[in-house]
Amino acid sequence: MKYDVCIVGSGAGASGVAYSLATSGKKVVILERGDFYHRKDFSKDEIAYTKREIFTPNLKECYHTIEDLEDGKWVKTPTYISESTFFNGNIVGGSSNFMSGYFHRLKPNDFRLKSVYGEIKGANIVDWVIDYNELEPYYEKVERLIGVSGEVTEYKHQEPRSTKDFPYPPLKEHPISKLIDKSFKRVGFTPYKTPRAILSKSTDKRESCYYSNYCGSYGCSSGAKSSARESLLNPALKSGNLTIITNAFVKKLNEKNKKVTEAIYIDTQTKKEHKIKAQIFVIAGQAVESCRLLLNSKSKNFPNGLANNSNQVGKNLIFSAGGVGTGQFDSTIMPLNDLMQEGVFVNRSLCDFYFTDKFKGGVVDFLFEHANPISKANKLRWQNGKLIWGKELQKKIFNKFTKRKQLNFEIFNDWLPTDNCFVSVDNKYKDIYGVPVANIRIGYHPHDIKVGKFLAKKAEKVLKDMGAKDVNSSIGSYPPANLQAGGCRFGDDPKSSVLDKHCKAHEVENLFVTDGSFMPTGGSVPYTWTIYANSLRVGEYISNIKEQ
Amino acid sequence: MKTKITRRVFIASSLLVGTAFALLPQGAKKDIKIEPFKVIASVQDILFPKNGNAPSASEFGAINYLINVSSHSSFVKDDLLFLYKGANKLMEENPNFLTMNFNNQSNSLDEFSKTKIGENWLSLLLYYTIEALLSDPIYGGNRDSIGWKWLNHHTGEPQPKKPFGEIV
Repeated sequence: MKYDVCIVGSGAGASGVAYSLATSGKKVVILERGDFYHRKDFSKDEIAYTKREIFTPNLKECYHTIEDLEDGKWVKTPTYISESTFFNGNIVGGSSNFMSGYFHRLKPNDFRLKSVYGEIKGANIVDWVIDYNELEPYYEKVERLIGVSGEVTEYKHQEPRSTKDFPYPPLKEHPISKLIDKSFKRVGFTPYKTPRAILSKSTDKRESCYYSNYCGSYGCSSGAKSSARESLLNPALKSGNLTIITNAFVKKLNEKNKKVTEAIYIDTQTKKEHKIKAQIFVIAGQAVESCRLLLNSKSKNFPNGLANNSNQVGKNLIFSAGGVGTGQFDSTIMPLNDLMQEGVFVNRSLCDFYFTDKFKGGVVDFLFEHANPISKANKLRWQNGKLIWGKELQKKIFNKFTKRKQLNFEIFNDWLPTDNCFVSVDNKYKDIYGVPVANIRIGYHPHDIKVGKFLAKKAEKVLKDMGAKDVNSSIGSYPPANLQAGGCRFGDDPKSSVLDKHCKAHEVENLFVTDGSFMPTGGSVPYTWTIYANSLRVGEYISNIKEQ
Repeated sequence: MKTKITRRVFIASSLLVGTAFALLPQGAKKDIKIEPFKVIASVQDILFPKNGNAPSASEFGAINYLINVSSHSSFVKDDLLFLYKGANKLMEENPNFLTMNFNNQSNSLDEFSKTKIGENWLSLLLYYTIEALLSDPIYGGNRDSIGWKWLNHHTGEPQPKKPFGEIV
């Protein structure tokens, strides 16, 4: 069978396209590397969801090499040695199944960072080829279709909205949120109520949040979390126009006359190779793996990889810069019964420093330490560099679980695109199918660290004002593997960009890339809302293409 | 998914306190060496002794847990080899370890932890002992949720019907 559209990947970047096309009558096929998990299959099993490689490929079978600077030289280390995977959520719906759903839009000036703040030496900052107004209708569509809960906070950096309120009211909050609000006001900050991609009210297809206390990193058993699977793929499947092929690892796209003709995939269970033909191909396998597929799809017309005669594929990869901070709360700050409430959300962010007069700042989200008891207890076995056990360790664990609670903050600021952060492939390192794996060079710009530290100080000020004990923070240069973007930036000039403004490859007539790869700069927020919005935008564009 | 292990097999295995080695997940026996696990079980009770309301490693099924999870394909093979290696090294240095009383075993571990291999081995063993204390009982540890009850921890719902994220 020849499909109208073949999509590689099934996460946020794929689902908007699949939904738009399938519901407009196009025959769509998705090739997903992992299995199809439904609500009934998910549980709150800390071992399976956070301690083992269950929802990502086994690193002995497929891995990445991470290229880091050691003593002035770039050194590649396979992730099966470092035991730190850069895969995320390889099941239908992708990593959106496991997100925490902190949802922030980009702001108008994120689309013109170079124009507003100018160049930074060593960084490849460019303005986007679309502006906020072009994406706003799709941000709004995400709120309705995918489901975003919250309350709009009016403050100086609030982005323009075409609707007044979020379609779903805020989720239930922990009593500490009121303390945070008071401290924000005392230190002169605006208490920003964090929107979440989690339903606070049931719909006819999805149950509301049931406050399980095990949210981030876990699949949702009520359908409340606005994963690509729940919110867009399930409705698209209902149309009868979407086919999802699971356990399908796409190794190459074949091309003829600068048009993709077929996708070659391996059934990871039978190890057999198959082909899929379609009119249009869309890649959305998350930034690193999408770049890998293009770079490995070499042909006579594209000796450096598909759509890569510009040598731009894989370049300007970005992550989210920033870090984390913590503070300890006990019964001296609020009654233990209140403090120990479980499941309800903190939902506060510090957004006042998203922009400053001199430089681009970022966002700080506040949240309680995740429930995960194994992770919590295991952190305690080292004390001042010495291993402890027996009664000493047992006492420490007991006090941690029963007498205090840790409030964290997570900082998001721009990971500036540089020449030292990119994806490449190297024939020396191959997966079990003989396909070169992606190499990820993870160089960072020192400016990112300065901004992170600036934001950490502001957030620490809040925790200290609240009376938290042991307040500290850590700003790092190691990239968070789950927040990937860039690598196929869009732009008007085919020499300096891979995709045009519609996320179609400049050089290939029928090839689109719709995960976070298109983003030339990332903004200072988790990318998911923007990826969903852009996927719906491109899906609408493709559905309007006249058949030739 | 990878190796299929049903809830039934896991629960059956977790019930066999004294004879944990008798019923292993199918296909697991060839990879499991029994002798080091006897040493490991003994050490786990020093790392996590009975202490007021705190359950001992034997009570929460630490060794059952380790045998179960180490036979699954998701377990890091190098970790298993290192667990064996450390147990052998401890026995080399303390041939009578298994018959020592609690205090002498504790002193031996104190000494052993002063070596690099000893410290790393105890750290890894503590890591998996804490997994056994606080993981879902489906894996054979945290028997009757004793670890969660001790810490007044309420797990999230639903609990797993199958281990290792297998599709239900």
